[in-house]
Amino acid sequence: MANLNIDSKKERTYDAIVIGSGISGGWSAKELCERGLKTLVLERGRDVQHIKDYPTTNMNPWEFEHRNEMPYQVKKDNPIVSKCYAFHEDAAHFFVKDAEHPYIQEKPFDWIRGYQVGGKSLLWARQTQRWSDFDFEGPQRDGFAVDWPIRYADLKPWYDHVERFAGIAGDKDGLPELPDGEFLPGYPLNVVEKYFKQGVEKKYPNRKVISARCAHISKPEPIHIQQGRTQCQNRTLCQRGCPFGGYFSSNASTLPWAAKTGNLTLRPDSVVHSILYDEQKGRALGVKVIDRNSKEEIDFFAEIIFVNAGAINTNLILLNSISNRFENGLGNDSNTLGKYVAFHNYSARIYAEYEGLLDYTTAGRNPAGGAYIPRFRNLHKQETDYLRGYAAGFGAGRYSYSDTEGLGEELKNSLLNPKLGKWSVGSHMMGETIPKESNYVALDAAQKDDWGIPLLKIAIDYDDNDAKMKKDYLDTMEDMFKEAGFTNIRRDDKWQAPGLDIHEMGGVRMGLDPKSSMLSKWNQLHAVPNVFVTDGASMTSTSTQNPSLTYMAFSARSVDYAVNELKKRNI
Amino acid sequence: MKRRTAIKQLFILAGGIAIATACDSGRNKASIALSNVDFTKDDEELLAQLVESIIPETDSPGARSLKLHLFVMKMVDDCHSSEDQQAFIEGLKKSKTIKGKPLAEVQNYLTSLEKEDKFLDILKRRTLMGYQNSEYVMKNKVIYELVPGRYDGAVKISS
Repeated sequence: MANLNIDSKKERTYDAIVIGSGISGGWSAKELCERGLKTLVLERGRDVQHIKDYPTTNMNPWEFEHRNEMPYQVKKDNPIVSKCYAFHEDAAHFFVKDAEHPYIQEKPFDWIRGYQVGGKSLLWARQTQRWSDFDFEGPQRDGFAVDWPIRYADLKPWYDHVERFAGIAGDKDGLPELPDGEFLPGYPLNVVEKYFKQGVEKKYPNRKVISARCAHISKPEPIHIQQGRTQCQNRTLCQRGCPFGGYFSSNASTLPWAAKTGNLTLRPDSVVHSILYDEQKGRALGVKVIDRNSKEEIDFFAEIIFVNAGAINTNLILLNSISNRFENGLGNDSNTLGKYVAFHNYSARIYAEYEGLLDYTTAGRNPAGGAYIPRFRNLHKQETDYLRGYAAGFGAGRYSYSDTEGLGEELKNSLLNPKLGKWSVGSHMMGETIPKESNYVALDAAQKDDWGIPLLKIAIDYDDNDAKMKKDYLDTMEDMFKEAGFTNIRRDDKWQAPGLDIHEMGGVRMGLDPKSSMLSKWNQLHAVPNVFVTDGASMTSTSTQNPSLTYMAFSARSVDYAVNELKKRNI
Repeated sequence: MKRRTAIKQLFILAGGIAIATACDSGRNKASIALSNVDFTKDDEELLAQLVESIIPETDSPGARSLKLHLFVMKMVDDCHSSEDQQAFIEGLKKSKTIKGKPLAEVQNYLTSLEKEDKFLDILKRRTLMGYQNSEYVMKNKVIYELVPGRYDGAVKISS
């Protein structure tokens, strides 16, 4: 019996454990496996294999029972996830339904989740703009949060590294606020986007309108072919999973690559309960898992642990990892765990029409989605009565419409002969929010989920800074729209709850000082040297740029450090 | 339910062809499986007439042959609130006067309804949705590209 236990423990022991198989976990796994470490990836959701498990990927619109509309009862039963723009019949199976993993909203928070192998990397909007020193120096310059322990130069080689592998389409724009990278050819701006760009850049030399950089293979390199991926076919049906591997996901890219090394063990249906802590050795021992289906409790062991559960769930796991040494969560000497959570302010949009350039239209579809306006507000110095600034998406499209008045033959004729309309233009804001102690996640003392893990309480809100920034975005964009001669301008300033931006960050922040932060400059818990957090939870501040690419770079960089230290027997 | 079972058993006891007919008309179920709304076979036929009046058969298929009445039933059944469903059923009941009437009369009836009429709104919206997203239209008329394989941001329109 005793021997059996030893054997069993040996079977459950790996060199490294990665918690989570999403965009950052996939990168941790790939890098660990390539460095020769036997790596266990734990994923709380079901397995989703590239292509094989994309059931809707090749379906035509008429093949969907409700033509892609979600049934009334599903929407009624799922008020949270139904708010997500991608929650439709073609991708609903990749989203967590509200009842599956409840949480307590002390303040409204729309927590959008994808529990499956690949996580939200199957569903993301694939925008990949690098962060710069205007972001990493932000907290220090403007006096909020704590100083980032790294600068752009620390991350640059790792951005290069992940971009080459993932495949990022973009133009070299030469902007210090949005550093250029290892790009595949960028997608073109269309005629109206170009027209807007020319007008804006002429009038405001510090404002740029560029082609949005995105994780699509516009032209494959050998490294992409080796992954079994090929050129993006401009379907823009990405949320279904891509049979071409045209966009980057863990499923298409990092996980199969990790598996090819022979060092990967992937265990789906593994809900992580906590990280096990060895009080004598002062390090993490392994991970306690509850099997999603059988509810059986199983411990796994490893030398190093990467926590990539997704920002909020990474907080949950650390908060629930209680020991004599750490009564308030693993590595939480600073008492900052779960606090200083921030997000992106997406709560303003503006739409208009353009009646020029009507002798042009577009053909096919643009996977980049159009143009990107990098942050120009408060970039070089403080200029406004609010801190930081916003980036913006901008896109123009020319759509067909049919007169739907009346009925009978005339109506039918009109439906079968759609006319090209004016150009529709639109923009949305992506505002930096300031991490605050009062924006937090915490464990509920009484209520537990189906796996015996405490429910999370989430209390995250906007503040006055966000309201001022939003107004400035709308005013500024309206001015630029007017100057471009756009008409029928409509401002949409409806607040959406935090969370719906799906850019939640922080709670396990990096910092120089262990007294005020959780992680070192290597994303390593200050107090537990063999635990690393490289997902959104580790972010000290939010920047305005989409964060996933930065999580990838942090993951690769952190694995490199961890493996080197492990080999030197320093951890 | 029990009463229905009892009656059915009674018929079985009596035996004969007449019973089968009675049974069928007693059930009078729509031809597709529905979970919320009790559309009957008669409702289905009435709906076929109504959708056909919106998108009639010409040199190309109309709503009936594209089975849009079934699509409308499916959408009303799955994608509407119970209030919407109630309003739709009531509107459908009222429209029974056009049963078997020529197309023009059906069209006149629909035109006579208030613009804000809930029944008309749902009926027309769902018929158009079904039509524009039908395999026939998307393959033959207003072509849908599943795999465009290109993006051109400046296509000059020749006119």
